[in-house]
Amino acid sequence: MDIFTLFFWIIAFIWFVISIMKDKKKTFDAIKMSSGTMKHIVGEIIAILFLIGLILTFLPPEIIKQYAGQSNSIITTIIFAIVGCITLIPAFVAFPLAGSLVDAGASIVPIVAFLTTLTMVGIVTFPLEKKEFGTKFTIIRNSLSFIFAITIALIMGVIL
Amino acid sequence: MKKITQFIKKNKFLTLILLIYIILFILMPNKAITSLKNSFYYVKEMLMIMPVILLLTALITAWVPKKAIEKNLGSNSGFKGSIFSFLLGSFSAGPIYAAFPVCKTLFEKGASISNIVILLSTWAVVKIPMLLTEFKFLGPKFMIARWILTTISIFIMGYITSKLVKPKDLPLNDPQENYLVEPLRISSEYCIGCGICSEIAPKYFKMENKKATVINQNIYQKDLKAICKAIEKCPSQIIQLHK
Repeated sequence: MDIFTLFFWIIAFIWFVISIMKDKKKTFDAIKMSSGTMKHIVGEIIAILFLIGLILTFLPPEIIKQYAGQSNSIITTIIFAIVGCITLIPAFVAFPLAGSLVDAGASIVPIVAFLTTLTMVGIVTFPLEKKEFGTKFTIIRNSLSFIFAITIALIMGVIL
Repeated sequence: MKKITQFIKKNKFLTLILLIYIILFILMPNKAITSLKNSFYYVKEMLMIMPVILLLTALITAWVPKKAIEKNLGSNSGFKGSIFSFLLGSFSAGPIYAAFPVCKTLFEKGASISNIVILLSTWAVVKIPMLLTEFKFLGPKFMIARWILTTISIFIMGYITSKLVKPKDLPLNDPQENYLVEPLRISSEYCIGCGICSEIAPKYFKMENKKATVINQNIYQKDLKAICKAIEKCPSQIIQLHK
């Protein structure tokens, strides 16, 4: 276990002990609730983790590097951003996938664009958002999020 | 057999991946083993970080005083209100669609357009448990740089949206709702499936296909307390009781 994971384990554990001492019932109620939510995405998490294995086996690093390796390719970045808009996986599951692509040689620029639009722009949730906030608000918020996702990605490419 | 179809229905994606692996094992066993080996590292890392994320999400839900934060989001809250929106989003749980009803309620209570955008975006991108996962798989430098840039962008987006969209552009709640005869209502489309309502008041709420539904409209006085608790605990605030 690396030092960071260990650090988070310690923080979580200390907080957990304090929480139990303060209010046992409240603590366990909250844990039940989070595990309830988590249970629904476990299938997706396992699926993504094993998909990573397939990707790394059948898409050798040379191919990943060739198609997503250049940090200056604005077209690749936009394509990844669009994929992020229409994909419906919990962001939490997307990080190992993103990490595996970066490890295999993908540039971080398209990956950042994908991660940011995945969470901030919602084509699938568009009707729900429209129902609550109206068409104008929804279009403006989603378009701004898309533009900023690309901007963040390009700046990340420069500074990292 | 029924159980298998149910599993497939609930886990379409996982079933597809399993099928690919089975076919691969028959046709190209070498490739299948390589794939499993490649996945193993990520499975191991995920198993190490998952319990921490689960625990931290639970502890945040239990101890961060969300109601107190929400009180500071009114129309004249200014910059302080934006900071509180940011905090509320950072400590939330669940996907972005769970934030819609929460934000709508806050908007009706006087939260500004820019604060709603800040809350929605923060809820979507920079939640604490998600930052942990990002940290783990993409490294601290990547996570911190993206966090800073996203935070700045979110505040700018809030400002721009508030200049372009005015409060009157947002639809009011459907007036038809007042005529509904059912006293207990739940907007299932925003349900994140945590199951807390069916846990607290199993006589009235049931989980069906990962979404909560109302199963009983005959409300007894003695159950009111449990129902009110379920309403209060719902993370996306989608249960309503009309008396």
